[in-house]
Amino acid sequence: MNSEIPLNWFLYFAAASFSIGLVGVLLRRNAIVVLMAIEIMLNAANINLVAFWRYGTPPPGAGPLAGVILALFVITIAAAEVAVGIGLILLCYRRWNAADVDRYDSLSG
Amino acid sequence: MAEIVFLVIAVLGLGSALGTVLARNLVHAALYLIAFFFAVACMFVMLEAEFLAAIQVLVYIGAVAILLMFGIMLTRNVQGDDTTTIPNAWKVPGLFAGFCLFVVLVFGINNAVSPSSRGKWATSTNRPSIVADAQGIEAAWMTERRDSINDMARMVGYQLMTRYALAFETAGLLLTAALVGAIALAHREEEDPAPGRPAGTAASADAQNGPRAGGAPAASTSRR
Repeated sequence: MNSEIPLNWFLYFAAASFSIGLVGVLLRRNAIVVLMAIEIMLNAANINLVAFWRYGTPPPGAGPLAGVILALFVITIAAAEVAVGIGLILLCYRRWNAADVDRYDSLSG
Repeated sequence: MAEIVFLVIAVLGLGSALGTVLARNLVHAALYLIAFFFAVACMFVMLEAEFLAAIQVLVYIGAVAILLMFGIMLTRNVQGDDTTTIPNAWKVPGLFAGFCLFVVLVFGINNAVSPSSRGKWATSTNRPSIVADAQGIEAAWMTERRDSINDMARMVGYQLMTRYALAFETAGLLLTAALVGAIALAHREEEDPAPGRPAGTAASADAQNGPRAGGAPAASTSRR
């Protein structure tokens, strides 16, 4: 099946969502929203992986599913990261009574 | 036709990503995030990776978003909290950094150096065919690609067990470590309640005893 969608469009979508995620990480002070913005960035990277998998031809010796498998592993890592991240945020919330990343400054001189 | 569908999904996805980043109410932000995950799943379907789209819905919407929702509820910053506002001093530099990153990425997309065997990435619209051409000649990867697109779940399982077995085991180890770590982080250090005593009495007894050294303050104990 030949699709009419250019590869570029997927890349632009991924670039735009990655930039939005970066803005979220930089602007928001709530730790949970920062975690959400990181998830947006990981998803943008996944779109790139799958798009290049579908539009490219595999080099000899590579498996038929390289991009998809890599995206699957990224999803795995993201799930583990969120589980640990939420645990950390809850721990910090118990200690400082705030989910504000600017308040977690015990290590700053 | 496919282009219109793509544009609609892209606009919805970018709008919900913006909503996630900008929403004051954290529950609204989480719901926008679910919409964004769904848009990404639609992108995977448009890229003919339906299995990955199903995984995306299951893992991200089913697990990650719900976990984030639990986090929001437990930290009680639903609305009106000062952490949900965006400080004015950072607004312009943050947006500028995001815009600069987008410009750099677009520049990279349009000026990428392509492999010599094919044309420029920027101009490629056609996906490589997965069916044999008119002469019935097809490369070996075409057969594999056709199998993996038509029967992706089986091929992913097969690949995970053969080519990517080590990475698969490592991912399993990582998930186990994350599970143990999350439990160790969330576990509260407190003496076991006496057998037969309901948990509620133990908590109130703790509150009376006051904060323990190194433990959480009494306020957080009574909040439960």
